[in-house]
Amino acid sequence: MNFKKQFNEGLLTKNPVTVQLLGMCSTLAITTSLFNGIGMGLAVTAILICSNILISALRNFIPSQIRIAAYITIIAGFVTVVDLLLKAFIPALSESLGVFIPLIVVNCIILGRAEGFASKNTVLASAVDGICQGIGYTIALVIMCVVRELLGSGTFGGGLLNNGEGIRIIPAQFPAMQMVMPVGGFLTLGFVIAGSQWLMKRLEMKNKKKEAAK
Amino acid sequence: MEAILGILISALLTQNFILVKFYGICPFMGVSKKIDTALGMGMAVTFVMALASAACYGINLALIALDLEYMQTVVFILAIASIVQVVEMFLKKSVPALYKALGVFLPLITTNCAVLGVVLVNVQQGYNFLLSTINGAAGGLGFTLAIVLFASIRERVNKTECPECFKGFPIALISAGLLALAFMGFSGLSIF
Amino acid sequence: MKTESNVAYILRLALTLLVITAVVAVALAGVNSITEPKIDQLNAEKTQQAIEAVLPGGFDTEITDYTDDTGLVSKVYSGANGYAFEVTPGGFDNTITMMVGVDSDGKVLGISIVSHTETAGLGAVAAASTTAGEAFRSQFVGMSGSVSVSKDGGEVDALTGATITSRAVCTGVNAALACAANLG
Repeated sequence: MNFKKQFNEGLLTKNPVTVQLLGMCSTLAITTSLFNGIGMGLAVTAILICSNILISALRNFIPSQIRIAAYITIIAGFVTVVDLLLKAFIPALSESLGVFIPLIVVNCIILGRAEGFASKNTVLASAVDGICQGIGYTIALVIMCVVRELLGSGTFGGGLLNNGEGIRIIPAQFPAMQMVMPVGGFLTLGFVIAGSQWLMKRLEMKNKKKEAAK
Repeated sequence: MEAILGILISALLTQNFILVKFYGICPFMGVSKKIDTALGMGMAVTFVMALASAACYGINLALIALDLEYMQTVVFILAIASIVQVVEMFLKKSVPALYKALGVFLPLITTNCAVLGVVLVNVQQGYNFLLSTINGAAGGLGFTLAIVLFASIRERVNKTECPECFKGFPIALISAGLLALAFMGFSGLSIF
Repeated sequence: MKTESNVAYILRLALTLLVITAVVAVALAGVNSITEPKIDQLNAEKTQQAIEAVLPGGFDTEITDYTDDTGLVSKVYSGANGYAFEVTPGGFDNTITMMVGVDSDGKVLGISIVSHTETAGLGAVAAASTTAGEAFRSQFVGMSGSVSVSKDGGEVDALTGATITSRAVCTGVNAALACAANLG
């Protein structure tokens, strides 16, 4: 088991959002304020860890013909638990994310990791994978949120800081509100992925140079 | 009649499932490299969405009667998965021509959040049986419209030069953004 | 596969799936029994707060006998200073649930938004406890008859970039005012 490698993969080289392009519905739809991004990120991470652990533990018991149905049932169970808990204890978040909480069921990150990783690896490795992929997802969401909120509403930390109003950085009359609308979602994600591709190229070149120097 | 027309306009244009509501982005990005595959996917999704909307309307009534509303997500997704499976088996046996055209897309539809999304929206809005089914079909047509338009843009974009780091998905996403910008023009559109 | 007959194999598949579903169902029932009272209580508190925000002195009774021509009024509460109407106009994304207080002269006492799914930073401002949100909601106070946004020739200043949400709120207020007029 290689924790550092898995962490690197989750964060950058195999980031669920920017490289695997999984779970894009929620990435585009709810990234309008920091509160949403962090909330969604944590909800998905929690579900991902639980489902990875359970599916990995049951991987030898579930016949392969019905594995997808079995995985979906397990995932839907965890999602409903999180949905109910949020409704009861953090109603503001549940209201703000709305239908995208139940839609975590079909968030391809979770099914993708279940099928691609948890069904083939040990419980411990799957748990680590859940944590790393979850963190990678959360970071990608937070970046999207910060950019869209700053350009679209001119604030930082909406829903969290300064009594929920967020800290105003750009005066109210200037922000381009298209950025919090669908257009901004597509554009921001495009630029974020382009940025990460550029970063990975740079890192690769650096590594090559290092090896050449050796 | 007004309600039906309203649902059609809103599902196709003003509240387009992909470009405004962000349901079903994964297949939108994944299966939009060619116009004909995009059209096939769109048709398959429309079919399943209409069927799932109709079936889940009944299922939801049963859940409410049994006081099991908290099981909605679990039961709906299982229903959708079974519908997809049944449709696949039925087409394979009875309409092989259609199966050939749509078959490869069917397994992907279970995890298309447009399907679960439309079912959940139907329940939230309290649509009756007819309106639920129409909303499902219209949402699917909206999906088809968006994915076919997007595929035709992508076919051209892929042939053009662009900065190295924008190649592939980033430039596709930016084209999708511009398409969404165009659809924003419909948002003022309201009838009645 | 070879050791099992076909029927037994299919039975095993079905049984595995059934067991998983049953376990999930039982677990959910458990969680639901914990969260349900909490959610109900939260909703009740929210309604209570919304009524108190728009109807000074709160309410005494819930009225079930009212005439609603718009089909948007879902609940009517009566208090010493007037009525509070729960109305559900269609917003940009989904229906908005809001409370409108109306005094005995048919003037708006205040509005408060109970739940909504409007776009964060745009339509959602209507419900926010921010200065912009307060300013938007307080402009309805004292209005009577029929209200509309300035774009449609009325007196209400729409929220920036959220004309549809602002119109929806006006529709809700109008429904409440019409219902109040029917109550007399």
